[in-house]
Amino acid sequence: MGYGDYQCMDENGIREDGRKADEMRPVEIECGVIPVADGSAYIKWGKNEAIAAVYGPMEAHPRKIQRQDRAILDVRYNMAPFSTSDRIRPGFNRRSREISKVTRDALESVVDLELYPRSKIRVEIEIICAEAGTRCCGITAASVALADAGIPMSDMVVSVAAGKCNGIVLMDLNKPEDNYGEADLPMGILPMTDELVFLQMDGDLSMEEFQLAWDYNIKAAHEVHAIMVEALKKRYGGDI
Amino acid sequence: MAIPIIPSLLRNNLAELAADNKRLDGRSQFSGRDIEIEIDCLHNAEGSCRVRMGDTIVLAGVKFQIMTPYPDRPTQGGLMTSAEIRPVCGPNWEPGPPSEESIEMGRVVDRGIRESGCIDTNELCILPGEKAWQVILDLFAVSDDGNMFDAFALAAIAALRTAIVPAEKFDVGEDYKLPVNGTPIMASYNKVGGRFVYDANKREELGGDERIHITLGDEGHVHSLQKGLRGVFTAEEFTEIMDNAQIRCQELRQMVHELEGSK
Repeated sequence: MGYGDYQCMDENGIREDGRKADEMRPVEIECGVIPVADGSAYIKWGKNEAIAAVYGPMEAHPRKIQRQDRAILDVRYNMAPFSTSDRIRPGFNRRSREISKVTRDALESVVDLELYPRSKIRVEIEIICAEAGTRCCGITAASVALADAGIPMSDMVVSVAAGKCNGIVLMDLNKPEDNYGEADLPMGILPMTDELVFLQMDGDLSMEEFQLAWDYNIKAAHEVHAIMVEALKKRYGGDI
Repeated sequence: MAIPIIPSLLRNNLAELAADNKRLDGRSQFSGRDIEIEIDCLHNAEGSCRVRMGDTIVLAGVKFQIMTPYPDRPTQGGLMTSAEIRPVCGPNWEPGPPSEESIEMGRVVDRGIRESGCIDTNELCILPGEKAWQVILDLFAVSDDGNMFDAFALAAIAALRTAIVPAEKFDVGEDYKLPVNGTPIMASYNKVGGRFVYDANKREELGGDERIHITLGDEGHVHSLQKGLRGVFTAEEFTEIMDNAQIRCQELRQMVHELEGSK
């Protein structure tokens, strides 16, 4: 199948996996899946699966990386070698470095780092199964893991992405839609204020399409946020 | 792996417990933690397994690539094992190139499988001298609470025994089950408080001394041995743990076979 041959939607406006244009894939989240970690989360997002672990706050060493006024976040995003159809050679690559950095930038915007001067908080994100949209999966799981570790935050970052395929704006592209699509707009949203801490985009969107994708994302973020809160409630009980 | 600080208190505590024939978590000398095995848990891998032993959790994924056979072995494919211990699995594991510990784990697991002969590399041939399957076994640690060797070895053999060769994807015929003729199983023992125990947890590992890994095949034959870390042991000690390994490996083999049967 060449580019342009892929039909993402039937005449009734239903996508290949049965969703409507503004519908997300099903999301499941579970906290505390890594017994030895200070905080952890497992997320299943469509066929994507990721785990996130938080260790710390702990002493930051070597000392030259310490900040006298705040903690540093040490964020790593990685894809397991068996997470994709073609095996990934282990080790960092440019893509995972960039995603690690933008994830750190997003999470540092909400974590109360000033509470822990000279220390380090490690955030580890591992993609176990990949099926388009892993960075959103990772950021969302990391937020839950940070909350699970009891790290004070002003809000949890919810990351979602809308995109475009066959000229139609679609929420949460799956693998073929992502492969044959024309645009992708991942965002990191703070659901309490609808502020953004993470934003990327590639492809081609008109201003109207862009606005629609943006609105889809804000709506979806609130849906995912409810699932994140449920997962934390399930582990700790009570109201959050 | 960062060098952990081992308080002498922990060592003393373990020695006192050992003198009373007790362990930190209440187990007897040769009893293992509860084991859960799940197969086909990774949908992008051609074979996969998740093993949980107490709070130790690992994954194994099998992938296939097409390789050109070596000129001196034109009809043979290959098996490659890699254990990449990501810092997600515990506070002492650090990022960076594979550590000595993870390389040792990968190689010891690999030897047990390779030397048992359960994978006949001649059966991996597609076109002599031109194409053969390379089986890639990736070991991934989710949570390290000790004895990752056994967890990895168990996940590895269960993943291999349930792997499907993706011939259709590579356009070389129909998919088929990877032929695996045997179920090598590893049993590991750590010297804790002056005596060997089976399936040490993280605290026993940290406060203990040397460790011994034994991989046994279907007939009870030995296929790989490894002594790790600082410490000495006697022939009597070795005989004792070897006798226990024979029993333990048979039990675990049974577990793997029952799981395959229920698939």
